[in-house]
Amino acid sequence: MSRTAAIVGGANTRWGKREATWKDLVQEAGKATFEDVDGLDVSDVEGLFVGAVQPERFANQSHVAPLAAELLGVNVTEMIARTELACASGQAALRYAWLAIAAGQLDVALVVGVEKMNLGKEYMPEMQSTMTNVVDREFDGVNGLNGPSFFTLLAQRHMHEFGTTQEQLAQVASKNKSHAANTDFAQFQQSCSVDDVLESYPIAPPLHLFDCSGITDGASGLLLVSEEKAEELGGPATYVAGSGQSCMASNSVNNLPSFTGWPQATQASRTAYEQAGIEDPVEDLDVAEIHDCFSISEIIEYEDLGWVEKGEGGSFIEEGRSELDGDIAVNPRGGLLGCGHPLGATGVSQAIEVHQQLHGQVESARQVPDDPSTGLIHNLSGSGSVHSVMILERDLE
Amino acid sequence: MTDDPSVTDDTGDQPATDGGAPERRTVSVPERIDFPRMLDFYELQDAEHTEIHQFYDNLHEGDLTTTECGDCGAIHFPPRIVCPECHSDDLAYTSLPHRGELFAFTEVRGAAPIGMNDDVPFVVAVVDLGPVRLSARVVDAGYEDLSIGDEVELVIVDLDDATDQDRVFFRFTPVAGADGADAATEG
Repeated sequence: MSRTAAIVGGANTRWGKREATWKDLVQEAGKATFEDVDGLDVSDVEGLFVGAVQPERFANQSHVAPLAAELLGVNVTEMIARTELACASGQAALRYAWLAIAAGQLDVALVVGVEKMNLGKEYMPEMQSTMTNVVDREFDGVNGLNGPSFFTLLAQRHMHEFGTTQEQLAQVASKNKSHAANTDFAQFQQSCSVDDVLESYPIAPPLHLFDCSGITDGASGLLLVSEEKAEELGGPATYVAGSGQSCMASNSVNNLPSFTGWPQATQASRTAYEQAGIEDPVEDLDVAEIHDCFSISEIIEYEDLGWVEKGEGGSFIEEGRSELDGDIAVNPRGGLLGCGHPLGATGVSQAIEVHQQLHGQVESARQVPDDPSTGLIHNLSGSGSVHSVMILERDLE
Repeated sequence: MTDDPSVTDDTGDQPATDGGAPERRTVSVPERIDFPRMLDFYELQDAEHTEIHQFYDNLHEGDLTTTECGDCGAIHFPPRIVCPECHSDDLAYTSLPHRGELFAFTEVRGAAPIGMNDDVPFVVAVVDLGPVRLSARVVDAGYEDLSIGDEVELVIVDLDDATDQDRVFFRFTPVAGADGADAATEG
């Protein structure tokens, strides 16, 4: 890359079951994002990237990037795109913006992620269809595979092959949901014990309800600028030091490379680590926001992001290595389990959290100790078929 | 707008014209908007609608099949019209085993997608047939009845649906006499 880009600020709307439309959420996130950044206003924005998964189904609206441009008054002069990569649409939007800046096409991009998912309880089956459609609908979705019922198969195989326990799964959920108690925009702001998780309804066994992320309305926005522009602004900046993505020609059940792991995460993280000059991620990473759509996901990610040997992810949580004061503080924001998972917004929100952690801007109760300077964000999508990893650093090398 | 047949003029003969309250009318919005047929998750399975209709034709005749590449020998699932390995379109249908083992399974007890709420609870599994591993519903058994490795066999289901086609799909049931088959007699 000839040059990189920096996050100079961002903001989340309140997440949860919102009495608001898709358009309301975009406006809230956009306003809050510009208020977070000194020295930039909407007239500086040359590119707009919108992560959104199913506005066609949830909001009966397509062609959403121009709609967001209108709502926020963005006169796009260089590039506008909506990214749809299921649950990883947010990081995909950020990555497009980064590449456009790195290529010299533009200097200032607005990245927005948004999803309106709560349509009322009677329409919950419609919402659940989102996940049923992201796997091969004709041969996998048709059988009722969606979020919980797909990811629980990985949990069952991981337990079967490696002896991972129900308690270890619950420890992940308890950690992240308890972190979210310190996150003012989170959907679930209540501490949650391991027993609370184990006693919650086994909605798709072995996974219990509290092993699952929420159905969430929310939006997040950030401003990504060229390194020259970041220096000119002079405020807090977090640089993209590496970015990797992998999909191994697989989406449907028969073609997934594994049911206990994600070699795509390994490949994407290797690319990102190499670009960022990271040789020992456990040593070098201070904070990570990784895709805990289900508790099992985080355990697999400890392994496949290269932090612990294959099959030992359960011990990583059990030994406290992913706590705020552990080897790598994982999901201090509360992750998807605690904050909820407005699909398109999640990846953007993960990036905002790392930026704010690296600049001491979060509530003190969830601030990662010892002056963190290097973070990772990870977004997966669909049946785990795509993994996206980005390394963020406070200091430009 | 006035010639729109869906507009009902309920203001009688006295529309507001004097700068007071604006005229009010009622328009009808359909009580129910039918979703496209495709939202039932199943394809239209005949030659008029899909190029893998032979898969469905074979299933209709009682055989679970998939495509095999005549050039590189790859066996695919789901069936294809182009081999993803070598991009050949010289593909032929080959029978899959009708028995296999449970590789992984769960029971959907809530959060079912649209159209499947009445089926809850139901078991969905990954079945290892040898050449391929596919997802499928498992009938005649609950989660507690089953274990990884249990033998299951093919069941063909006819879809009772709103189309005028004789659509079919595949499911599996525990093999009688094998682990997990106790429930098979309970319907």
